[in-house]
Amino acid sequence: MSFSLHTDGLSPQRATLRLHGRLDAMTFGDFDGGAAPVLEQMGQGGTVVLDLAALDYISSAGLRSIAKIRKLMRAREGHTLLVNPQPQVRKVFEIVKAVPVSDVFSSVEELDVYLDRIQRKVLSGEDEDT
Amino acid sequence: MVLRSIASRLAVWVLAGTLLVVVAGGLLLFRVVRQQILEQTHRESAVLAGDVSHRIQHRLDKVADTAQMLAALIGPRPDDAEPLIRDALAHNADLDGLAAAYVPASIDARAPVRSPFVSRHLDGSLSVRDLLKDPAPYWTQAWFATGLACATGCWQQPFFSQSRQRRLVNYSAAIEAGGRPVGVLNADVTLEWLQGVLQALNKPRDTEAFVIDQQGVYLAVEGSALAGQRAQDELIAALRGDPAEPIRHTGLLATHANAPVWIYHAPIDGTHWQFGLVVPEERIYGGVRRTFSVALSVGALALLSLTLLTLVVTRRVLSPLGVLTERAEQVAKGALDFELPRVRRRDEVGRLTHAFDRMRHELADHLAELGRVAREQQRLASELEIAQQIQTALLPGAHFLDARCNNFELHAVLKPARTVGGDLYSYFMLHDQRFYIMVGDVSDKGIPAALFMARAITLAKALAPRAQSPQQLLQLLNQELCRNNDGCMFVSLLCGLLDTATGHFSMASAGHEPPVLWGEGAPQLLEIETGPALGLDDEATYSSRRVRLRPGETLLMYTDGITEATDAELRMYGPERMLDCLGRYAAHGDGDPAGYLLADVEAFAAGHGQADDITVLALRWHHAGADGGASMLELTMPASIEAVFDALARCEEQLAAAGVAQGVRGDVRLVLEELMVNMAEHGRPHTGAARIELRMTLATDAVLVDLHHDGVPFNPLLSPEPLLTGDVADREIDGGLGIHLVRAMASDFSYAHDEEGNHLQLRFILPT
Repeated sequence: MSFSLHTDGLSPQRATLRLHGRLDAMTFGDFDGGAAPVLEQMGQGGTVVLDLAALDYISSAGLRSIAKIRKLMRAREGHTLLVNPQPQVRKVFEIVKAVPVSDVFSSVEELDVYLDRIQRKVLSGEDEDT
Repeated sequence: MVLRSIASRLAVWVLAGTLLVVVAGGLLLFRVVRQQILEQTHRESAVLAGDVSHRIQHRLDKVADTAQMLAALIGPRPDDAEPLIRDALAHNADLDGLAAAYVPASIDARAPVRSPFVSRHLDGSLSVRDLLKDPAPYWTQAWFATGLACATGCWQQPFFSQSRQRRLVNYSAAIEAGGRPVGVLNADVTLEWLQGVLQALNKPRDTEAFVIDQQGVYLAVEGSALAGQRAQDELIAALRGDPAEPIRHTGLLATHANAPVWIYHAPIDGTHWQFGLVVPEERIYGGVRRTFSVALSVGALALLSLTLLTLVVTRRVLSPLGVLTERAEQVAKGALDFELPRVRRRDEVGRLTHAFDRMRHELADHLAELGRVAREQQRLASELEIAQQIQTALLPGAHFLDARCNNFELHAVLKPARTVGGDLYSYFMLHDQRFYIMVGDVSDKGIPAALFMARAITLAKALAPRAQSPQQLLQLLNQELCRNNDGCMFVSLLCGLLDTATGHFSMASAGHEPPVLWGEGAPQLLEIETGPALGLDDEATYSSRRVRLRPGETLLMYTDGITEATDAELRMYGPERMLDCLGRYAAHGDGDPAGYLLADVEAFAAGHGQADDITVLALRWHHAGADGGASMLELTMPASIEAVFDALARCEEQLAAAGVAQGVRGDVRLVLEELMVNMAEHGRPHTGAARIELRMTLATDAVLVDLHHDGVPFNPLLSPEPLLTGDVADREIDGGLGIHLVRAMASDFSYAHDEEGNHLQLRFILPT
């Protein structure tokens, strides 16, 4: 199988989808199918992290799948963050300006730092609110 | 030189003709007159001869009478003989001697004892001698016997007297006594006397006379010493003939040794002699000859005068002709402005002069017209030269080498039969790697054909970007050329479109000769279905043929100037010779095949010359772009997602095996996936399943991919740029992203569509 999907830390606030192999016109269905239950359980303001470290290749069909996830999460006022895209994938993203630079992280650590900051911000915000 | 002038010739001919007539007439007249004069001379001379003969006879008769009278007197009285004959001799000067000779034996009693002979000496004195006392007895001699027998007297033979030393002739008369002859009375006359008688005769000047006896011995010849000699035999024979017939004789007299003479003869009565009158022929004809000489001299003078007169008159009449001749020579040198002789009369010369004048003026007008036409022609020629330059400028260069990837090479040659021609060739690259080639031949030759050719070649170039295929270009071109084509000119055109990346060559023909193709094998004609020539039927359609050129193959296009070239025996060059020639070239030729073929055709047609425009265009496919690595992959697949992904996997494998960098592999895969998935999902034709052909090659610096799809036409280059907001989530989901990716990823990208479908060419540059 040229593509596989793994799910980590499944929760309504945060879920990580780890993509393996090639996401193209042949495999985007698998991706959509595998991601659907994860997205379903995501709550308002949740964050979906797409770990692209093992994704070798993406084509416009894969882009469309990612676009669908981002649209869905945006509707739920959540975030879709991309971590560790490989050169081919990064190149494709750059060409079509697929994702704002702020949503792409070169490593899990960087993402974690970002997520912690967000969390603190939220917490302090909540503190201020409350 | 002199005889060149008509006047001289006329004069000479007049002189010659008149001379001939005069001389011939003169000769005829001369002969007639001479004959008449001769006859008249004959008559007169015959009469004269008779007359003279009578006068001689008269003198001789006196001698004879004297002798007879003496004989009669002496007969009875012999004793008186001596004084009688002495007296008689003394008184008659004609006589030279007288003798009374008696017969001794018959002397009777009365007979004397003497036979006296009295002779005259030269000094005139007389001497007497007794013949009986002569030692030789005279009575035995012949003359005595003859004399005795001659009772009436007769002339004897001439003889030479020894005692007197002269030639004599004697007349004898018998002396009778008692009725019997007793003796002979002999009277001698000298031949000189007879000659003197002849000379004393009154006869015409220049004539001569002679007396001849019956034996043919001359007794006397006037002015000659012939006396006593015998005449020539033929003369003697002639004299015996009719005295009325004059005798023509030659060589009679010393003075006329060899000149012919006429002899008129008459017998002298009382003798047996003949008288002859000799008239030289020269004397007869001399007068008339002199007369004719004078007449001839006068005639010659007259003729000479006539000739001179003719010469002068003719010269005077013809002198304007001489002037006209000189003027005509001037005309030949180009001078037309000159004086003509004044016309005096309205004769032939006058009319000629008028005609000459008219001719001169018309010639001048004609020359001016000719000069104008020549200038016009010169102008046309220079315009034609400029037209040729312009026409040459319409044609691209004779050699084209694909500079970009050395994939193909092109040789062309065009040789018009006249300054400008109707043949054309053209080639040009469109922006998307498509290369158009065409060769055409306009009907007719010369300027109309050249103009139509210019129209066709510019229209072809202008319409080519709009046309997706050769047959479409022919159709568009045909519609344009049919417009306002009242002259019904047409052009046959073979149009080809070369895919410069792959060597795919599609072509369409509008009534043109089929091209020749060769590579490994022998050259052969590439049969192609042709439509009507362009410009005739605006609804014509054309079909195409597609070939794939292999490396090393050459495609040659030409016009009928090649196949219809004829040699001196009017044999056509024909396709077979062309294929043979190209076969020779293919076997070992190098360089320019078009030039090679043209040289062969020119050598073939050397004896006849070029009759039609000749155009040859040769396209050689090198496919050098693939030289860095052979074709890596060639696939033909159904247009389905599964097949597409199988193909993508194989491409990936091949590229990886070839050591192509990861990044390029990703680019190639992405682009091919986007395009082929697009074909599989959206390009399905109405007719059913579509196919995709993929060909991937690795060049030294790039990966080349050809894609062909026989589905619905779709030009990715024409699809609009997607609106990129920076977030895929902002946009509606559509296919624009894929095409955008393709355009961004491929280093080079071209698209073509023809009746075979879509053709895409892609190029990915390898990182150095």
